[in-house]
This record gives sequence, C-alpha cells and structure tokens, in this order.
Amino acid sequence: MIRWLALRGTLLTVFAFLLAPVIIVVADSFNGGPALSFPPTSFTTQWYGLIKPSFFSALYVSLIVASCTALLSVVFGLPAALALSRGRFIGRDAINSILLSPLVVPALVTGVALYQYSLSFWDLTHVALGGTLIGLIVGHLTFGIPFGIRAILVGHARFEPALEEAALNLGATPLQTFWRVTVPILRPSIVAGGVFAFVMSLDDVPIALFMGGGDATTLPVQIFTTVEFDFGGDVMAVSALIVGASAVLMLLLDRLIGLEQLFGARQ
Amino acid sequence: MSTTDVERIERPGRPWRADPWLWILLPTLAVFGLIFAAPLVDLVLLSFHRMSGPAQVGAAFTLANYRAFVTDPFYLAMLLRTCGLGLLVTLGCLIAGYPVAYYLARTPSRWRGLALFLVIAPLLVSAIVRNIGWFPLLSQSGAVNWVLLKLGLIASPLSLINNFTGVVIGLIHALLPFMILTLTTVIQRIEGDLEEAAANLGAGPLQTFWRVLLPLSLPGVVSGSLLVFAMAISAYTTPAILGGNRVLVMATYIAQQFRTVLNYPAGGTASALLLVFAIVLTVLALQVRTGEERVP
Repeated sequence: MIRWLALRGTLLTVFAFLLAPVIIVVADSFNGGPALSFPPTSFTTQWYGLIKPSFFSALYVSLIVASCTALLSVVFGLPAALALSRGRFIGRDAINSILLSPLVVPALVTGVALYQYSLSFWDLTHVALGGTLIGLIVGHLTFGIPFGIRAILVGHARFEPALEEAALNLGATPLQTFWRVTVPILRPSIVAGGVFAFVMSLDDVPIALFMGGGDATTLPVQIFTTVEFDFGGDVMAVSALIVGASAVLMLLLDRLIGLEQLFGARQ
Repeated sequence: MSTTDVERIERPGRPWRADPWLWILLPTLAVFGLIFAAPLVDLVLLSFHRMSGPAQVGAAFTLANYRAFVTDPFYLAMLLRTCGLGLLVTLGCLIAGYPVAYYLARTPSRWRGLALFLVIAPLLVSAIVRNIGWFPLLSQSGAVNWVLLKLGLIASPLSLINNFTGVVIGLIHALLPFMILTLTTVIQRIEGDLEEAAANLGAGPLQTFWRVLLPLSLPGVVSGSLLVFAMAISAYTTPAILGGNRVLVMATYIAQQFRTVLNYPAGGTASALLLVFAIVLTVLALQVRTGEERVP
C-alpha cells in the first residue's frame, strides 16, 4: 500500500497546484500590504471600495453579451442539431464537422479574422461591427453556436422518436408536437448548451479584445488591459468577486445539470 | 447508413423528396458562413499580400510572407519557441495528470466525486482570474519565493513570472484538467484485473506501470497530448499575461501584428499557419481516439 500513499501525496500536490491561484486571489484581495507581497502584513477590505466604475460597466456589457450569446446559440443550434441528427442528405457528416470546426480554430485567430472582417465590412457598408455589442455577440456566436449544436446532438442521441409519433397520432399539429414534446424532452441538453455558451462568453478574452473596445469592453478584457499597465489591489478585489460568483454558479450547475455531464458535452 | 434504410422501411408512407431538414439547416449554415467562414477566408487571403504601409495591404499576390517564415531566423526561432512551449506544457500535464487520472479511474473512494469536482472546477473560473492568481504566488516578493528563501533553498528570488517559465506554469495549470479527463476515460476502459495479474506474477508497481498500464493507455496519452499541445500553442491570454509582453510565441506575435505593429499580412500569415497546426493536431488526436475505440 506504499503505492497508494505515494499516489495520495502526488494527488494532494496536484490538487494544491490546481487550486492555489484561485485561493490566493481571494486571500490577496484582503492584503493590506503592498500588492503581490507575501506574507500579508495586515487585513483590509479597502480594495473592494476602490474598484473603478469601469469594471462595473464592463460586467454589465459581459452579462448582456453572454445572455444574448447563450440565447442565440440555442436558437441557431437547435434547428441545426435536429437537422443533423434526423436529416438524410448527402454531405451530412461533412456539414456536421464544418459546423463544429470553430471549436478547433484558435480563438485568437477567429478574433483577428473578425477584426479584419469588420474593417472590410465598414469599408463596404459603413456599418460598424467592431467596438459594438452586436460585434461582440457575433464574435461569441462563432463558438456559442457549435457548443449549442454539440450539446443538443449529444442529448438527441437518446431521443425516443416514438413519443413524437404518439403526439402526432393523437392529433397534435407538428408545431404543437415540437413545442410540447420535442423541446421539453431535449430541454436538459438545450440548457446545457446555453449555459456552456454563456460561461465561455464570460470567459473569452481574444475575441472580445479584437471585436470590442470603448463602451463595448467586457469584464475579462477590462481586467486584461488593466494588468497590462498596472497591477493593484483593486484588480485582486474584482478577481476575488469573480471567483465568488463562479463558485456560486458552479454549485448551481452541479445541482442542476451535474458538472461531469456538462463537461461531457464538451468532448 | 443502415439505420437510415431501416427507418425508411419502417415508414413506407413517406415518399422520398429533397430532404426538408436541409431547409431547416440553412439559416444556421448561412450565419456560420457569414460570421465565421468568410472572415477566416478573408484572413487567410491576407497572407498572400504584402503590407503597403501601416494597416494597409498591397494588391499584388505573393508567397513572400510564407517564404520568410521558413527562412528568416527570427520566425524560425519563434516557431521553435512555440513548439518548445507546447512540448513542455504537454510533458508537465502528462506527469501531473497521469496519477490523478489513475486515481479517478480506479478508486472506489467516496472522495472520488470531490476529486473530480476539484479537477473540473478551475475550468469554470475565468481564465483571466486564474492567470492573475499566479502573480501573488510567483512574483519576486511572492509566496513561492518567500517559502524557498525561508527554507534556504535559494539565495535570491527566482524570476518565475513575466517570462517563459511563468507561461509554462500558467498553461500547465490551464490545460491539466483536459489531460486528466482524457486519460481518466482511457484508464477506466483498461481491465483492473490486468494490473492484478501483473502484480501476482511478480511485477513491481513501476514494472506494472511501464509494461502494462502505460502501453494499454498509450492511445489516450497520445490523443490527450496532441490536444493539450494544440491548445498550448493556440493560447493567447496566458502567454500575454504571464509572459509580461516578453514572450514571443505565435499567438502573442499575431496579436502584436494586429494591435500595435499593424502589419496585417504578417499577422495573417502567422494566423494561417497556427490555424493549420491546430486543425491537423486536433484531427490527429480524434483519429487516435476513434481508432482506439474501434479496437474491441
């Protein structure tokens, strides 16, 4: 059983490594000494009062963008997933791979591509995409829709078509069948896809960095550009608040969907 | 394909027409083309032109950008640095991830759920926040240097952040959960009896690992490594923050070309190359995985 002991030691080290940066963010946000110094000299909550208003407006932008991304990802993802799992047309597998391909493309490449595209788009139409909320949502839909499609495809694999046939036989119209049978059955995977798109949208830096700017700056980008220049206790306080919010979100998701299942949809 | 035939036989009432599902797929395909495919094609096309001024792109077609990438020592060094980063991160993830994956796959313990939660949880905490957490730990006056100094292991603080080391540490942290999850599914499929048999026949734990466990889990090791390598060379946020603008890899170079240097064709060329690398590596990883699934 020496083997299990050695394994136990390694496990504890790896878990400490995984959790260290998350825990230290929270601890350091109460550090009264100079930023980034260890050990902390005194306890303070002053950094939380010193958070700049720009972080709150960025949070507002992030939440709007993430909500719209989640909703639209499902709106476009559901019909596509249904068509891909039920249709019988030539090139179905190819279309499937193509629609999921954005998940393979580095987000930075998607970001600069969209940035470049928004410049050409402006030259052509004089409609601004870059630096707007719409631009951010468009950018995040590039990964949101594939996440939506994939989650629903996974859920649909266990779908029992007889239930729809029963509804149709009992006189339901196709539309009624869709809303009252198909959608409720697929709801867990629809929710999982939306939640995933929401979380990934809140997390993204590269795409929001290139599609945003000015009033359309998301919270991660605001943090990113702030630490590029200076690093103060207020950034730690913001980060600690995000850790707190993530922990609440995580517990909720674990209760509602199950984290293992949520990330199973990712593979 | 065979299920399709079965379904068609089962529903003889429906005549075969052009599949209506194609129409339902159309809006999503159109959006996809408009917001993803077109920008990407546009970007790749950029790489076949030269910069004609800041943020300006010349009209003539050229392969000069790609020629520069394979001949110019500056670009070659950057490619090597990017590959080196990917290799170190992959190796780190393998070494730290395998024992955890083994535990998750084999343990009957009631702590398994918690352990799995701890592996997945960091993925749900914003990547930028996790990066920031390394500063109080790794900076000159940070916790790690404080402990090492107190223990007398070092005489002066080590530079662990705002350099290549910081990026390696940050990326191992970011990608470790993916490696663990991939390896866990593979190890779960290996019969535990095989290890017992090896032990009964006199093999020590190390021998069992080298001659039984590792060879059998090799497909998972390979596919997990390819995925982690692809994600490591594609990552931008971590190299940018933990490298402190001093670590030039493909991703940070691309961002620099578009944000400050304004040489769009050069950035487009690096993007096209990174795109190809990422796609090839991921396809290879999936190939290994499905190949392994086909084996009974």
